Amino acid sequence: MNRISDRILVGLTWLSGIGMCMVVTGLLLFLIFHGIRQITPALFFGDTPWLKAITGQSPVFDGIWPAVTGTVLLVFLSSAIAVPVGVASGIYLAAYASSRQRAFWGSMVDLLSGTPSIVMGLFGFTMILFLRKTVNPTAQTGLFLAAVCIALLILPYLIRTSQAAIAGISTHLRLIGPAAGFSKWQNIRHVLLPLASRGILSGIILAVGRASEDTAVILLTGVVAQTGIPRNIWDKFEALPFRIYYLAAEHRNATELEQGFAVALVLLFLTGFLFAIAFLLNRYAENRWRIRRYQ
Amino acid sequence: MEPAVVISNLEVLFFGKAVLKDIHLSLWPGRITVLVGPSGSGKSTLLRAINRLNEFFPDCQTRGSVSLHLQNQYHGDIYQNTIPLSDLRRRVGMVFQTPAVLPFSIEKNITMPLQVTVGLTGSALTERMTRALQEVALWDEVKDRLKSSANTLSGGQQQRLCLARVLALEPQILLLDEPTASLDYKSAARIESLLLNLKERYTILAISHSLSQTRRIADRVCVLRQGQLIQEMDRNDMADIRTFQGLMEAAF
Repeated sequence: MNRISDRILVGLTWLSGIGMCMVVTGLLLFLIFHGIRQITPALFFGDTPWLKAITGQSPVFDGIWPAVTGTVLLVFLSSAIAVPVGVASGIYLAAYASSRQRAFWGSMVDLLSGTPSIVMGLFGFTMILFLRKTVNPTAQTGLFLAAVCIALLILPYLIRTSQAAIAGISTHLRLIGPAAGFSKWQNIRHVLLPLASRGILSGIILAVGRASEDTAVILLTGVVAQTGIPRNIWDKFEALPFRIYYLAAEHRNATELEQGFAVALVLLFLTGFLFAIAFLLNRYAENRWRIRRYQ
Repeated sequence: MEPAVVISNLEVLFFGKAVLKDIHLSLWPGRITVLVGPSGSGKSTLLRAINRLNEFFPDCQTRGSVSLHLQNQYHGDIYQNTIPLSDLRRRVGMVFQTPAVLPFSIEKNITMPLQVTVGLTGSALTERMTRALQEVALWDEVKDRLKSSANTLSGGQQQRLCLARVLALEPQILLLDEPTASLDYKSAARIESLLLNLKERYTILAISHSLSQTRRIADRVCVLRQGQLIQEMDRNDMADIRTFQGLMEAAF
């Protein structure tokens, strides 16, 4: 009996693994099949010469270049806000909080992670309305507001993964520092954080993915269909997921729909590229942590 | 000679429950004192009471006193804040049962704590690291691969690295929590002979589960049961193996 259920379980796990690979491959092939023909310089830059577009000498009207820059800016800005706060909160929960505080703040984090993204968007939108009525009558939605709201959205991933990565370090490694006379913070800085860096990185990757794909938040906080590259962080901006939504919902002909698939492919590769950056940064930091002694 | 550590009336409680009670114990420089006793008798807790490491664990209370008498430096009860915690833990070094190397380079395992706690840099740092590695007879084995990961060392080498890390901080008292428990016979013998060499310069308190090892290294044996010291033996009691075994069996 046990052997049969064992075998069934093994079969099921294999099947799930294979199924997942097939779904991902299928999705990729589907996107490539529908979109690859539209991946051309014209998709990115329209009629503008690419060199001039990239250097910002002339604006791009018909291409997705402004949306690529918009998404990249949004991801960097929101990560710059959320990563320090998220990792610090994770450290607090894993190393400083008492078990009662941990339970309380932990449930708050879970609540935040359960908040639908459209609610974050509404929050940002209401904030602008509030600012307009009070201190700043000219306040309007834009890149910075969107980044703040996205940061709120990705914060729980960062907090939970950092917390788990630090809490998962075994007691005998945790004791080395204190036994050598380290203060609590010295132990965190020189032992726990380096050992947890890989886990923290996986949280950052999740967060970057989430930040680059979310549409509901930016819809209410400053994304527009066409505005060019934002001039500053208060400006309106374009973004790839919104462009995909827009092309899919409002396409007038088959080519535009194909462009939608092409933009989806671009978004996928862009996220992959951002993951790669995060990975390389981590490897660089790890090498420093593991080998280098400070001079 | 003055004892380096005088423990009197020590009681340690975790979650309100006494793990150690009524402990009186003195440790002298140049001698190895070995603690024996069944699992859960409070041996590790007693070790950690001497460098206040019990406070690392939740809900711990310590009563009584642990006085240190370090060479022209500190005299006094460590629980009365006479010694800054970080100084105390450097002066009272501790080696654990599992070789706890950090997944850093061999070199950094020793230099990092020195930089963080003592603030050593440059050639002074290199010198201190070299000396510590030589002291544990590891230098010749690792001098050509100081930058490779400490995880590539064997268990015995890792434990010697841990010992070197502690010695580099220049302690005067060594607490060893079953330092050879996870090692093979040869590596264990190596650590034992190291300890016998080191004992002239340090005050050593070790935990051991091996009676033969205890006989080989101990100048004095203390038996702990259910949180209380119930017996002490010196070299004379250990001279005859049968008498010793009899005493130990009665104690356990």
